[in-house]
Amino acid sequence: MADTRTGRHAAAAGSSSSGISALTQSPANLECKDFQEYLRTRQTPETLEKLYNYPPICLAVFRELPEIARQFIIRILFVDQPVPQAVVSSWGAQRCAKEQTDATSCLTALNVWRVTAIPGGLSAWELSPTFKKSVRQVLLGGGKPWPMTNTLEKDSKPRDINFLDTYAMSRWRCVLHYMVGTGSRNGAETEAISPDAVRILLHANLMKRDERDGITITRQGFQFLLLDTRAQVWHFMLHYLDTCEERGMPLPECLSMLFQLSFSTLGRDYSSEGMNKQMLDFLQHLREFGLVYQRKRKEGRFYPTRLALNVTSKEAAVAATLTTDEEGVQESGYIVVETNYRVYAYTDSPLQVAVLGLFTELLYRFPNLVVGVLTRDSVRQALRGGITAEQIVSYLEQYAHPNMRLVESAIQSKSCLPPTVVDQIKLWEMERNRFTYTEGVVYNQFLSQNDFVTLRDYAQSIHVLVWQNERTRTMVVQKNGHDDVKRYWKKYSKSGG
Amino acid sequence: MFFYKIKLSLVFCIYRKGRISADTDADKLPANMEAETSSKEAESSIDLLVIVLDTNPSQHIVRQNPQNLTQILEAVIAFGNAHLMQKAQNKLAVLSCSHHATNFLYPLPRRQVELRQVDGQYEAFSLVEKTVKQQLGSILMNAPRLNGPSESLLAGSMSMALCYISRLQRNVTSGVKMHSRILVLTGSNECASQYMTFMNVFFTAQKLGIVIDTCALDKTLSLLQQGCDITSGQFLKVTQLEGLLQYLLWVFLPAPQMRHKLVLPPPPKVDYRASCFCHRELIDIGYVCSVCLSVFCKYSPICTTCHTIFKTPGPLPIKGKKKKKTDKQ
Repeated sequence: MADTRTGRHAAAAGSSSSGISALTQSPANLECKDFQEYLRTRQTPETLEKLYNYPPICLAVFRELPEIARQFIIRILFVDQPVPQAVVSSWGAQRCAKEQTDATSCLTALNVWRVTAIPGGLSAWELSPTFKKSVRQVLLGGGKPWPMTNTLEKDSKPRDINFLDTYAMSRWRCVLHYMVGTGSRNGAETEAISPDAVRILLHANLMKRDERDGITITRQGFQFLLLDTRAQVWHFMLHYLDTCEERGMPLPECLSMLFQLSFSTLGRDYSSEGMNKQMLDFLQHLREFGLVYQRKRKEGRFYPTRLALNVTSKEAAVAATLTTDEEGVQESGYIVVETNYRVYAYTDSPLQVAVLGLFTELLYRFPNLVVGVLTRDSVRQALRGGITAEQIVSYLEQYAHPNMRLVESAIQSKSCLPPTVVDQIKLWEMERNRFTYTEGVVYNQFLSQNDFVTLRDYAQSIHVLVWQNERTRTMVVQKNGHDDVKRYWKKYSKSGG
Repeated sequence: MFFYKIKLSLVFCIYRKGRISADTDADKLPANMEAETSSKEAESSIDLLVIVLDTNPSQHIVRQNPQNLTQILEAVIAFGNAHLMQKAQNKLAVLSCSHHATNFLYPLPRRQVELRQVDGQYEAFSLVEKTVKQQLGSILMNAPRLNGPSESLLAGSMSMALCYISRLQRNVTSGVKMHSRILVLTGSNECASQYMTFMNVFFTAQKLGIVIDTCALDKTLSLLQQGCDITSGQFLKVTQLEGLLQYLLWVFLPAPQMRHKLVLPPPPKVDYRASCFCHRELIDIGYVCSVCLSVFCKYSPICTTCHTIFKTPGPLPIKGKKKKKTDKQ
């Protein structure tokens, strides 16, 4: 009789979450983290607490929070006692409860506030004292001034914003050119980049060392090229920060300085007086990547460039450039996309041609013009390489020719690309996602047809059945329904047998 | 031509009803889709806050204790900076409104003064603080002497704020959204003489989708309350001046787009009386010109606004009307 206790179950293959991601997307994809994610994954509560001693970091953290969380922080910023949890939860409207729980969990994860008990047995939220102090300081003043704000005598030859923009872009392009290996070939104008930068590229897996041809670009590297400049800088800096401890630079200070630069005013000079040696080294690195401009290595004056401003948020950077009265010199666009999927790129830069070649089929090449066509095959090849449709579209948008923006339809809608092309690229991507993955448990080797049918019908009735085959007496139930079905089976076999 | 004697609040009630039904139509959108897009949009849009600060020295609270003005100013600056702190792309403007003029306190049209941080405050915030204080100081020093109490030109300042907003709106490139709102802080009394200007401002704001919030520091202001109601803004009467900043941060800091996610004070009952054009008094029942819709508390044979000549009032003869129609035919 004991034999009737069959219906053995085994975990279905490939059901773990890592297995799923391995199937749906290639494992070596470029992952772009925003600042919040970076803090959550890389930092422990103790190190976070240390970071919160720096007002610029606190300001950056604050701006990264969800909007409800920001309101909560502001409301309790000037309250000195802990605030009961029930009170905080009564601030949000009932119908946005989910958003509110997200906000509270986010604040807890970032160690911005923590639970304490207050007299009366209630649990309450209390802002982290260091965070509170720093945010108050940012908002109202007091405390020590931020470094690099020492007064300088007036610069005899102040640099204007246009100059800084061209400088920054040329520096940054050096790094990109190095990656596709075009810098060395046409030599003259591009300079080689420093070993430090190369080390970061290697560390970030954007390039890899090959025995045969030295250092070559990886697939992630190509995806990196497709990002917009701001995202590239942010990704690059994150990896820089990973390696900065090894080089003996304290992470909090570097991070603080990075954010201070990001909150600084474009076109103003700042002083490097009073910085210690490590920070001066950091400054030199930033100078190399084009985040700051400094005339001479030893000069105590530097200008932050547009690359350094608003590193964490894309929208902020876009909106900031659009509303300032000075004309924001974005990199001038050179790509024209037509509704017949043809792509005309007015460029002679091997870098840009190489990037375009990732997702278009190149047809003709002229001294100043490259013509390609977006085909299903070319786009699918890019998608297979781990590039997403979103990345392709955003790349085309970012470098769209100014005339593309003047088309009537472009003025009305958000994107300046022909909608048919955008939709088609997205459809090509969706074609590839025809599988949906469900975690499940296999039940097989039933001894009698009757057992099988009973169990299958039960699983169906509670809506956990994924698949079944009566002939082989095999069924798959969802993982969360497994316990229920198992319990039912035990009860059934006991009573039946 | 006839004068119609009607209950004035009724007109607004009818008007309001139309608006509410239009609002509920919009609410019928799929809720989750709306929420998803709105939070994404909220992060990328520019929020512009224009603060209109009443600096009239004849306000009751200022006359009582001149220190109060300083306290209000500190709270307003901290509040403005808290708004700027929310998102990097947020914008702020501060206007001072007095009995004789309206001035910009921040931002200033010319190039900003060179300023270095002196303490831990964020550079941009100290710029706001310094500019506002400096500017207000010089305005108060140069103000003409006041002979007796006079009312603040609130409506004028608000129209200036509207102009400023629409100018910025024009400079915004396609693809970027800008949400604007006006916050009025005043301890002045009701000013029925500016009734027309107020109404023009309110309806313009409504049409442009600009929210008007009001923080009354001293008296309840029924006109501004109407304005808040029309533009679906918040009205709050502050009872304790000490906690002003906390009041501001609680009620007025959340952007109008996210206010439905928070529990905020419910709107008070709004007094929809209009003020008459002859004596500038709030009236419940009055005469309305059939040509230009001017409101009068007493009957007069000629409309002072459009110079239409009226017949003597009386029960309208229905027969007469019919007769007229047949005459025309």
